[in-house]
Amino acid sequence: MDVFRLANADRVLPGVKAGDPEAQEAVYRAFEAPVYNLARRICRTTEDAEDVLQETFLEVFRSIGSFRGEGSLWGWVRTIAASKALMRLRRNKYRDTEELQDEVVPIRRDDAALRMDLEAALERLNPTSRAVVWLHDVEGYTHEEIANLMNKTVSFSKSQLARAHARLRRWLGEEVPA
Amino acid sequence: MTHLTMEQLLALREPGLEPGVQAWKDHVAECDVCQGELLRLDQRTARLRALPVLKPSRGRFAEIQGLTSRWRFRRRLAVFSLGGLALAATVALAVVLVPGFQRESATAELAEQEELDSIIARSRQLEDVIQTFDPDRRVTDGRTALVAADLEDRVARIDQQLQVMNLVNARARSVEAVRLWRERLGLLDALVDVHATRASFVRY
Repeated sequence: MDVFRLANADRVLPGVKAGDPEAQEAVYRAFEAPVYNLARRICRTTEDAEDVLQETFLEVFRSIGSFRGEGSLWGWVRTIAASKALMRLRRNKYRDTEELQDEVVPIRRDDAALRMDLEAALERLNPTSRAVVWLHDVEGYTHEEIANLMNKTVSFSKSQLARAHARLRRWLGEEVPA
Repeated sequence: MTHLTMEQLLALREPGLEPGVQAWKDHVAECDVCQGELLRLDQRTARLRALPVLKPSRGRFAEIQGLTSRWRFRRRLAVFSLGGLALAATVALAVVLVPGFQRESATAELAEQEELDSIIARSRQLEDVIQTFDPDRRVTDGRTALVAADLEDRVARIDQQLQVMNLVNARARSVEAVRLWRERLGLLDALVDVHATRASFVRY
């Protein structure tokens, strides 16, 4: 996922800082899909993900003056998106439905079905675990970074990841019989 | 034999060497079951990364751009509110202090000043009305956002002209100020209409 970048970011940035709509659109087009994808993987509904998409780019265009180019533009945008998505999770105060989710044990064998099972299994994780899995395993955040984003401890992030993988393993039928 | 827990398996994939990790590595090197678990963990992570990128059902740039423009407009407005008051005060002061100013056309100038005061007060009222619509927080369609953004840009251009006017002489300043403030008032009126129309559509 870290392959997303704006090829001509250096050329576009001054325009974005000056409020030039064309430069803003170039940034939006470059990062729209990865930002939405991250938001959708963390949030429960498409509506929430679309709100996060909008809030992220509003924040990006309002705060672009504070981006000093010390890391990649995508890294900066992604952190804003992750923060907005986690904020949305906290705001919605989803109930933990892990007990119900444990009842679902899809087992398929062919690749396409397996991928669908993974989508379904990921969707069935509780929101916090799903966010940790996505941020750590897919977006490449460290446990320290996740702990900062979630305002939790490093051990919390590690244990959430372990619990999530244990569940995914079970739901995907990957457990080795003892 | 005790196999590694999921937390221990995950720790093996982290950079750095936590206490105990070397012992777990040694265990994995000799344990087929844990090697299998580690392999499946890697495969699961690879499959997560290979999930398709989800895309929004429609582009939202028009709304975002409209909201961003309005935010910039309101920020400029907040800055200008102070500058505008200072300018109004300057113009009023000019009526009193510039030699010959009152002698030549005192009555006309006072009427002009009164109109200017009235327009500035009305402008403030309309700005307050616009704030009550809280446009930054409302979802809006792209077309409305662009119309609002265009009106706000035009108001912003007038604000710049009003600020530049401090450089010209007091008499010209007074006449031009009235003209620009009138135009500004008209644009703010139009802006209120846009927000009011949108708000009524949202309501129904």
